[in-house]
This record gives sequence, C-alpha cells and structure tokens, in this order.
Amino acid sequence: MATKLYFQRSGLQTTIQDMGRLGYQNKGIPVGGTMDKSSAQAANWLVGNNSNSPLLEVTILGPKIEIEGPCQIAITGADLSPTIDGQVIRMYQTINIQKKATLAFGRLKNGCRAYLAVGGQWQIQPWLGSYSTATNNGKMLTPHSFIREKSQLSILPNIPISVRNIPIEKQPKFNSSQRIRVSKGPEFNLFSAYSIGHFFSHAHPISPQSNRMGYRLDSKLIDFEPKQELISSGVIPGTIQISNSGQPIVLMKDAQTTGGYYRLGNVFSEDLDRLAQLKPGDSIWFSLE
Amino acid sequence: MNIRSYGDTALLLNFEQKISPNINAKVVAWNQAIQKANISSVVYTIPAYCSLTVVFDPVQTNHQQLAEHIKSLELPKNSAITAKTHQVPVCYEQPYALDIQEVAQQTGLDHKEIIQIHTQDTFQVYMLGFLPGFAYMGKLPKELYCRRKLTPRPKVPACAVGLAGQQTGIYPSVAPGGWQIIGQTPIPIFNPNKEQPFLFSVGDRVQFQAISQQEFEQLSIVYQNGY
Repeated sequence: MATKLYFQRSGLQTTIQDMGRLGYQNKGIPVGGTMDKSSAQAANWLVGNNSNSPLLEVTILGPKIEIEGPCQIAITGADLSPTIDGQVIRMYQTINIQKKATLAFGRLKNGCRAYLAVGGQWQIQPWLGSYSTATNNGKMLTPHSFIREKSQLSILPNIPISVRNIPIEKQPKFNSSQRIRVSKGPEFNLFSAYSIGHFFSHAHPISPQSNRMGYRLDSKLIDFEPKQELISSGVIPGTIQISNSGQPIVLMKDAQTTGGYYRLGNVFSEDLDRLAQLKPGDSIWFSLE
Repeated sequence: MNIRSYGDTALLLNFEQKISPNINAKVVAWNQAIQKANISSVVYTIPAYCSLTVVFDPVQTNHQQLAEHIKSLELPKNSAITAKTHQVPVCYEQPYALDIQEVAQQTGLDHKEIIQIHTQDTFQVYMLGFLPGFAYMGKLPKELYCRRKLTPRPKVPACAVGLAGQQTGIYPSVAPGGWQIIGQTPIPIFNPNKEQPFLFSVGDRVQFQAISQQEFEQLSIVYQNGY
C-alpha cells in the first residue's frame, strides 16, 4: 500500500531534489539537485534508498505534513526542530511511522536546509532524467516537485530496514560563519593584488537576494574596474563571479550554465555543502588554497 | 588551445578569445572528440564561444590525468562533425518585429534590407546558454550590427528572433531580455515535452527564411504539438 504525504502547509520553499540533471549543460540546463549533497545522501541512506533517490529539501521554514500509511523517514541537515504529533524527534536516525502521523517543523536552530527522506519509490514524474525542480515559462516541468499547500505525494514504501543512525560526531556542524576554501578562477590574474587581498581578509555577509541559483554577497570588491568585456564562458556551481559593480556572487545548483562576468575563484566542491547551509545574514570567510 | 584547472572538479579549455565561427568550430570539434571518447570520468561539458568547460568526477580522475587524456584525443575531421543545417522560418512582420524601427534607425537600413541581410547567410550556433535552449548565433554581416536595448524588455515572447552586436539569437521561452527583436519563428526551438527537447546543438547551422503573417499562423498550428 502506498504511503501518502499530504501537505497542510508548504513551508517557505520545499522542493523535491535528487542529484540533478547532469549531462544537459551543453543545452543550457542548470545542474540542479540538492544544495547540500552530503546531508541529502545521508538521509537517503538512513531509510535504505539509493543515494540518487528523490527527497524533500526544506528551507528555513518547514512544512506541516500528514503522513498516512506505514513508512520509514529520516531528517538530516539543518535543525528545524522537527516533531511528530507534537513530540520532538531525533534527526540523523531512521524513524518508523506506523500509523497516521503529523510531521511538523519549528524553530530553525542551525543551518538553512533540512532533508526529509522517505524510504521507497516516489510516484512522481522526472524530466530529463531528474526529479529536481525545473521551470519553463513560469510553468513547472516537474509538477510534483514544488510543494504547495495541499500538495500530495505518493510513495511505495520499501521493505523496512533495521533502524540506522549517524553518530553525533559524524554529523556536520553548521555555524553561521564559515571558512570556505577557494581555488583561483579563470580570471584571477585580472584582479589587482589589492582587490584580492581585501577579498580574502574580510567577511562576506550573505544577501537576502540569495537563492538556489546563487548567493549574492553584501560586500564589494575594492579597486575593481572590469577593463575588458569578457566573452561568455561556462560557469559551474561554486564559481565566484564578480558583477561589473563589484558584487561577488557564488553560483549554486540552479545557476545558468554560461556567464560573462569575471570569475575570481571556485569554491572547493567539498565546501559547497557547508556553504548551502548558510542563510541570508550569515557570513563567509574565503581562504585561497 | 590552453587547458587550465577550473575549480577542483573541472578543466577549462580556452581558445583564442574571439567570437568567430572558426574558433567556435574548434570548440565543437574538441567537444565532440570528448563525447565520442566516452570518458567515464567526464560528468558534463559546457561548450561556449571560445571555451569548453569539462566537469569531471574527482573520484575517478584528476586535472592532470584528464588533461593528458583530452590532449591525446584525435579531433574529428571537419567533414565528420555532426552539425545539422536548419531552415528556420521567421515572420519579420508586425506584430512580431517589435524593434525593427529601432534597428532601422541604428543601421540605416530599411525593413526590406534588414530581412534580406538576415536571410542571406547561414549562421552558426555558437553556444546554448542563458536559458535552457537559448541559441547564440553568428556572425552577422557588419551592416546589421546593433546595440542592445537600453532598457531590457521585461517579457520577450518565446520564439522571438533578436539581434545584439554581431550576434543573432532565438528566445526559447518567455524571458526578460535586451536583444532587438526583429521577428518570430513559429517553430518551438525548446519543447520540454519531447524526448529531445532542443532543436539546436552547438555547431549547427541556421538559415532564416522570411514568411508572411499568414504562413506564420498556418505553421504555428502545424508546430503546436512540437517540431
């Protein structure tokens, strides 16, 4: 029997994601997929799914979900004070749902994105091989993947696994200030030493105009005047581009695939997960490796 | 060609930094060579005007190893490059030719001359980017060069054909944009419902053909369900 998820509240931005739409970037399709890949993979492991299975990415303000039918769930990533029928539940652990229950989220204690995995086959439509949200002309190409109030999901549960957990020392820590490692970008040498020195010795607060496409930083490169117009070239998640006005933008999973701004650096792929757990107002310290 | 590392999971192949069909042809050739070699560590590529981004799986390879592998590949002969030529009908009449007056002012050409020049050459698809399936093409004959609009249009219609500098392009979907719109094609160049949603690939050739408003409407019905 299928498990049903009925969304009484959608939360701020609740989407279905997997590992993304890889291979179509030559056509201008964003990579997409989970922002914090390792937390997402951990959640899927805890319910016995494979690591590319779709799951819910919950952002800052969580949804309220009525779960019908037996299933196994797990929550990882940001701590949004999850509860079941009002009882606080543990994160980073398999949770058995036996009967109808209400999963809710409360105060955000740390991080920015939580991942909710449900063990089984999700009855949803992929587009170009991925369940991650994709839009065209304002219409969803993956109609199930953007959660709204009253959205419903149907999942054919796996045969239950014995309860798994990830010990606290192996769980990531999300601070509101992070050191993020960076390698030199293609246009690194076009910046002055003064610009670079300043960039790597100051905190960069994350602007409220940040989303899954990119993190805009509330900082400005000093001594920066783009001398030549660049010819558009490929950009990838983690590329730090500097707009003509000097504002740094770190490209994230839903970024476009080409751009014409100066690329100062690239965030280490391993650090992208921690970066994805920063929210507007938090700060980044970049270090050049 | 210069190969450099681009973050810890990609290589950037840079060619002479110029917008030119010949340089772009090299990008296409290297991209095809990499695709054809079916290198298991290559996750995806982004061919652009004069660069090629190659993203790899760091568990399987590293910058140096992949760069050596790429350098050892044999480039496809020009004749073997699998580029299609597309005949793309465009209605250059109102209500589709939103900026034809501005283009006429900037170029000193009249409406007829603009159409004649835009349909005389075959253009090359340099890059798909900005939006899923947005095709950047060139090179335009010099007479047709014009600047982008000072204030971008908040909603350019899907399938609008535009000009910007030495390039021409087609909007795959409704989007904000600053290109000078001179017409519209009835062919959906991006159709998400198809298994192959994209009409164009990088390196393809495009020849525009002028059609009347009546022909546009007839073709729109034909193409309603995809190309």
